Amino acid sequence: MKKALSILKIPSLILVLFWIGFNSGHAQGLKISGTVRDSISILPGVSINIKGTNQGTLSDNNGNYILDIPGANTVLVFSMVGYLSQEISVQGRETLNVMMKPDVSSLDEVVVVGFGTQKKTDMVGSVTSIKPSDLKVPSSNLTTALAGRAAGVIAYQRSGEPGQDNADFFIRGVTTFGYKTSPLILIDGMELTTTDLARLQPEDIASFSIMKDATSTAVYGARGANGVILVTTKQGEIGKAKLSVRVENSLSQPTTDIEFADPVTFMRMHNEAVLTRTPIGELAPSTLLYSDEKIANTFPGSNSLIYPANDWKKMLFSDHAMNQRYNLNISGGGGVARYYISGSLNQDNGILKVDQRNNFNNNIDLKSYTLRSNITIDVTKTTEMIVRLSGNFDDYSGPIDGGADMYKKVVRSNPVLFPAYYEPNEDFRYVKHIMFGNYGQGNYTNPYADMVKGYKENSRSLMLAQLELSQKLDFLTEGLSIRGMLNTNRESFFDVWRNYNPFWYVMSGYNKFEDRMYLTNINEDSATEYLGYQEGRKDLSSTFYMESMLNYNRTFNEKHGLSGLLVYIMRNSLVANAGDLQRSLPFRNLGLSGRFTYAFDNRYFAEFTFGYNGSERFHEDKRYGFFPSGGLAWSISNEKFFEPFKNVVTNLRLRATYGVIGNDAIGAPQDRFFYLSNVNMNEVGRGATFGRDYGEYSNGISISRYSNPEITWEISKKRNVALELGLFDRINIQAEYFKESRSNILMGRSSIPVTMGLSAGVLANVGEASGEGVDASLDYSQSFASGLWLSARGNFTYATSKYQVFEEPTYKEAYRTRIGSSIHQQYGFIAEKLFIDDYEAANSPRQNFGEYGGGDVKYLDVNRDGQITGADMVPIGNPTIPEIVYGFGFSIGFKGVDFSSFFQGLANESFWIDAASTSPFQNQTQVLKTYADSYWSEENQDVYALWPRLSPGINNNNNQRSTWFMRDGTFLRLKQVELGYTLPAHLAEKIKTSNVRLYVNGTNLLTFSRFKMWDVEMGGDGLGYPIQRVFNIGLNVNF
Amino acid sequence: MKKYIKNTKTWMLLIPLLLISCNKYLDVVPDNIATIDNAFALRTQAKKFLYTCYSYMPRNGSMGDDPSIVGGDEVWSFDYRGAYFDIAKGNQSIVGPLGDRWNHYYRAIRDCNIFLENIARVPDMEEFEKNRWIAEVKFLKAYYHFYLVRMYGPIPLVRENLPVDAGVDEVKVVRNPVDECTDYIVELIDESMANLPADINDPAEELGRITKPIALGLKAYVLVMAASPLFNGNTDQAPLRNPDGTALFSATASVEKWERAARATKEAIDFAHSSGYKLYYYRPDFQQYKLTDTTVTQLSVRNSITEKWNSEIIWANTQARSDDMQRLVTPFLDPVNLDITVTKGELSPPLKVVEMYYTENGVPINEDKSWDLAGRYKLRVSGDDEELYIKKGYTTASLNFDREPRFYSHLGFDGSIWYGQGRYDDGQPNNLLYLEAKFRQRNGIGKEGFGTVTGYYIKKLVHFENVIATSGNTYSVTSYPWPLIRLTDLYLLHAEAMNEAYGPGPEVYEYLDLVRERAGLKGVEESWSQYSMNPTKHTHQEGLRDIIHQERLIELAFEGHRFWDLRRWKKAGEYLNQPIVSWDLGQEVAVNYYRPVVIFNQSFGTRDYFWPIDEGNMNINPNLVQNIGW
Repeated sequence: MKKALSILKIPSLILVLFWIGFNSGHAQGLKISGTVRDSISILPGVSINIKGTNQGTLSDNNGNYILDIPGANTVLVFSMVGYLSQEISVQGRETLNVMMKPDVSSLDEVVVVGFGTQKKTDMVGSVTSIKPSDLKVPSSNLTTALAGRAAGVIAYQRSGEPGQDNADFFIRGVTTFGYKTSPLILIDGMELTTTDLARLQPEDIASFSIMKDATSTAVYGARGANGVILVTTKQGEIGKAKLSVRVENSLSQPTTDIEFADPVTFMRMHNEAVLTRTPIGELAPSTLLYSDEKIANTFPGSNSLIYPANDWKKMLFSDHAMNQRYNLNISGGGGVARYYISGSLNQDNGILKVDQRNNFNNNIDLKSYTLRSNITIDVTKTTEMIVRLSGNFDDYSGPIDGGADMYKKVVRSNPVLFPAYYEPNEDFRYVKHIMFGNYGQGNYTNPYADMVKGYKENSRSLMLAQLELSQKLDFLTEGLSIRGMLNTNRESFFDVWRNYNPFWYVMSGYNKFEDRMYLTNINEDSATEYLGYQEGRKDLSSTFYMESMLNYNRTFNEKHGLSGLLVYIMRNSLVANAGDLQRSLPFRNLGLSGRFTYAFDNRYFAEFTFGYNGSERFHEDKRYGFFPSGGLAWSISNEKFFEPFKNVVTNLRLRATYGVIGNDAIGAPQDRFFYLSNVNMNEVGRGATFGRDYGEYSNGISISRYSNPEITWEISKKRNVALELGLFDRINIQAEYFKESRSNILMGRSSIPVTMGLSAGVLANVGEASGEGVDASLDYSQSFASGLWLSARGNFTYATSKYQVFEEPTYKEAYRTRIGSSIHQQYGFIAEKLFIDDYEAANSPRQNFGEYGGGDVKYLDVNRDGQITGADMVPIGNPTIPEIVYGFGFSIGFKGVDFSSFFQGLANESFWIDAASTSPFQNQTQVLKTYADSYWSEENQDVYALWPRLSPGINNNNNQRSTWFMRDGTFLRLKQVELGYTLPAHLAEKIKTSNVRLYVNGTNLLTFSRFKMWDVEMGGDGLGYPIQRVFNIGLNVNF
Repeated sequence: MKKYIKNTKTWMLLIPLLLISCNKYLDVVPDNIATIDNAFALRTQAKKFLYTCYSYMPRNGSMGDDPSIVGGDEVWSFDYRGAYFDIAKGNQSIVGPLGDRWNHYYRAIRDCNIFLENIARVPDMEEFEKNRWIAEVKFLKAYYHFYLVRMYGPIPLVRENLPVDAGVDEVKVVRNPVDECTDYIVELIDESMANLPADINDPAEELGRITKPIALGLKAYVLVMAASPLFNGNTDQAPLRNPDGTALFSATASVEKWERAARATKEAIDFAHSSGYKLYYYRPDFQQYKLTDTTVTQLSVRNSITEKWNSEIIWANTQARSDDMQRLVTPFLDPVNLDITVTKGELSPPLKVVEMYYTENGVPINEDKSWDLAGRYKLRVSGDDEELYIKKGYTTASLNFDREPRFYSHLGFDGSIWYGQGRYDDGQPNNLLYLEAKFRQRNGIGKEGFGTVTGYYIKKLVHFENVIATSGNTYSVTSYPWPLIRLTDLYLLHAEAMNEAYGPGPEVYEYLDLVRERAGLKGVEESWSQYSMNPTKHTHQEGLRDIIHQERLIELAFEGHRFWDLRRWKKAGEYLNQPIVSWDLGQEVAVNYYRPVVIFNQSFGTRDYFWPIDEGNMNINPNLVQNIGW
């Protein structure tokens, strides 16, 4: 906590400085302030003007404004794109809170699309926008907010470890079995990574668009096949400097707690495992069993050094961590230049404990800093220049093995062999180091020692610089403009370890009568009292990107809207430590894209887009691809005949698109120049030694790829049909059906038998897959005269996939083919039950996976050939990536109080409990309590017990992928609840602020799922760093 | 307008960006990327490819790459010894077969073929050297085919590589009948013979490369194997046929195969003799101690394997060093350093292997008239007579007394003397190292993951000059490359082939007796007629066959032969269905310790004679037929 406090001081200092600065420039006069919001949340960026003048302001990040007014009867005009303008007379009030009504049929609402914006009412393609305020979650990771927020996004989170908690997300599912399945992420036009997206601050986001269909992604040609996420950051607006500060402090704790069997049960079950698996007269088991004496003297929590009973989990992890987030931004500007500058600091702490005898911190401590500066300069009336500079810096300090591994180590640590450490006794008075416990030769895992023995630090930096110039060319022809952009980024990462080698002590004897323990140090030679040092990986990469754009946009005769766009892009990126020559060569993209739209009378719309792209990965003849797409839309509600229904159906619109998109990210990231063979002329694995004293050695030669000049683009054909429906101006429904077919998917030729002797797989563009589904969203909002407002919304995504062409052997059994199955369908055995006894096992179809008998899993001989082989594996369960993701929530507010909650869920997903890593006793693995409560034993031959017959190691028979350990990943969770209170304006002003909002919120508060062993969202990997439940308190102050 | 023109200066900056040529932008690959052509551009590169062909040689003696160590019944081990030990425990299956080498050796063969296709292109090589390399690679190609045949039986032969883009039907090859496989392997070896050197001229650089005696030795083994019951008239395998009906095994046994084998074994022996190979005898000329005959005989036996490049090593595999194996089998010898963990003392011969060794009279324990078979588990205290074999005054089982010198040279056990490892003065037997293997003793079971699991240790593979440090974790091993063909192996093959082809005769006895003489035993005729309860056993073919087999199992024990020989003789069904027996290791006193305990019941059926073909390979190539029983 001490540290956290000192960090708190920095922003408060800045705060004070700003305070002084602002107060000095204040003129005293009439003043009005208030909050602007819509039915869902507060609204930043609403322009508030004094009617008939140019004077005005914008609402800040929290929807607050403050404005000097000339008189008590001034009329203010509140306006914002997508909302109905309101004129309100001040009438002597000091505070004026305004509810903006969305203008459903607004002609002005724009959506950010590739290389530009489009009016929402003109849209033909399929683009979902997420309001930046929806992305405000009490987390330092923006991606964790994605699940269930937007129709068309499949997202889930598998880990809660700070720095490792990026959610997995896919746009309309996954329709390829190539390596690249994630969407293209563009932040201000720059292609960046998931981590870069994760570090974005919601305050800095001006727009967040998700492009889903062919026409909207076609301009990205080769890169857009998996959908595009396009984020733009804010620009300054004309007006006085506005400062906004947000401070949050949150408490996070694991959503679920994995319980282990107590130490006595552990030992009893261990002995049972050894004896139940011991064949006749196996090696004197007495040496492998826990003695009766030891079992009798071990008590949970007894803290005995002689008979240790460690609760490693408790010893390593505390039950919660405190995290802090600070954000500060300032924006404003005048006629010539405008600025938006923001900075943030997030500190995330892990829940690992620290040994006070060390003077270093081995807990996870992730500090993430962002600094962003967007400057807009009007060079002339028609020339605009934007300079964006931003940096994102992560400083991480944590345990040597990382957080998830510490959790896994706890599972793999014997609780009764030795205590975490011994206190120095008489014999070891002079010892300064911690006397860690161990056993035997010291080869056992002491997770406590592993955690506190040192720490690693890593540092990641991303620096971006961007220059954008745009020039209106109306003097050539009206509506023509040109824009150019250059940007570059540099990313770096390094890793350093510092740790000592723990001293291991074993108990070599114990004198019961004197109660005296004899300890021996077993690794004097290798243990150290001082820290050693090791350098980890160092990654550097640089990217350069350039785009030039010609834009034309004009309406003729008020009826014919015409627009055209041509973009030329070049991208070059290099990595510093690629590992081999071919990988070290630059990654390049080159493309020319265009978009042409025509709108007639706001009723009929047509759009044609194309991308003509080149990729360095392919042979000269196959290098370029042309990817066209087109679409039509019809605004039925704008037709004359529709007038009678307009009161009820405020909007009715149909859209349809079809197009082709390419993908050059095929095969594997490191496998690039398919037209060249790859030969390692110094292959260690193929070396040979000769000579009397082995004096002659040389490496050999290996072929890791055979050349194939035919390999080319993966092709995606996308169809999209959408219906937009607005009812009573309050309800908006949008439903889309999509279908995609991928062809030319690169895959291994599995028709080539091993007898060919090939040392590398032969690949070809032969695979085909398809996907289809629907996504839909519904918004509802209403405000009442009393000042109460209410809104609700929901969205739903259903995305399936299917193998269409997949090269595989011709199976005798029809069910083995992958064709027709989901890409993430798993194949496995049908587990019938556990064998009652050895007799039943011996008289059932032979199972070919190692020793088995009574109490082991019995598989169904599907093809009835008398044995269980790969031929009995059938598609089991749902895909491992959920097919359904949905979210819904509501907000309600009255006066200064607002309350909202949000539920999120997914369905049609299966996962498998990792039987190998949870298998008790192998590698000293502890017994999960759920296993201890239900397992087959010779006394209790429960053929439907959770865990099969115990065994001292992994039982390969039971460890096969089967329905036995398959679980349903479906869940619904209360993702977020927030309660906020905004200080009335007169109070706010008293403390010299324009707005103060205090809020508390929480995430992952409740989960509904049939799976109870761990947080179901983690899937099969439940022994890692748990997903966190967060309670957060925040304060938002604007000046 | 003027103003606009002025403004254009700003945006004119953008125009060059548009004009950057895109023609060359995507040509990021420089010209000098290595491709397969580079491998044969120069001799130095071609040599790397030659070594690549050698690199596929098995790692004999490695737990992970040699089925013959823990895959059969010769030694037993801890539970976690991996894939091959799982075969011994009966867990083989067609689902990812344990120890599958199908992929490995077909890759090896493809690389050999690539070498043979391209070597002619190398510009800077002399013709004779090219010919020698070609001969070596042909030999290796033959060896890799042979290895597959030994594991899988009939296999698809790869005479030439199919192109990578060969048609789907072309690549779906069929298995060739066993006799065709043998002929092709022999043909390759014969082709290589002319250009292989009779001896290595540059031992420091080239020992381990293929020579003519090696080629003759392999040819001899291949033909003996082909004449053996597993491959010669094996009716069990009669149902194994290709989809077109071709039988893969000949159903009738042919004596001609033995005659052909006998010619080959003789040729191999004669050429080896003419090249200077002879049986190894220890000559103690560098030690200051005057060693007894007992110790000299022991060292002659032990060093014939562990002394690298000794006079009877025809082929040693330099890709397979014995270092790890020596560390694995060496027990905690020195009582002053028991904390050492680099010596594991693992791999334990079960009692049936212990009982296989002859008595001091050179006949089996169940035939020796003077040896008390029934009382073999009774306790007995060692005296002066055997003080170089068993610690004087030590109580151990009678089974360990009055055995042949190879018994004491090959095995360590509770109370046995362990000559060497720093203690070389056999004039003071009390000073020599010895083992104590009962429970809680240093060589007993108890230290987890270390020590014997049957009560016996392998001494044979440990070089007697290895030094175990008196403290710390240092064990300096005298390395030797794994012997693949020793002269005694050829002698025993020849005796076997002669007996099978022509029945008992002086030539059979001659070669058996050469092996027995070095082992400190009398000749076959003398031993059996004098000491055996079955004094005429050696005079008829079947009796002599048993004698030859047992001699071979003893002489070549722990060298990786028993696993294959029992299969080749079709005797695995008999041997590998016997229980694995140990002493009662959890006992601290002799009277309890020396009780035989069954620790595993192995089972072996017809199908286990050959590896199964991975079901995945069967699916890809439906023309392959699966081995019988899988």
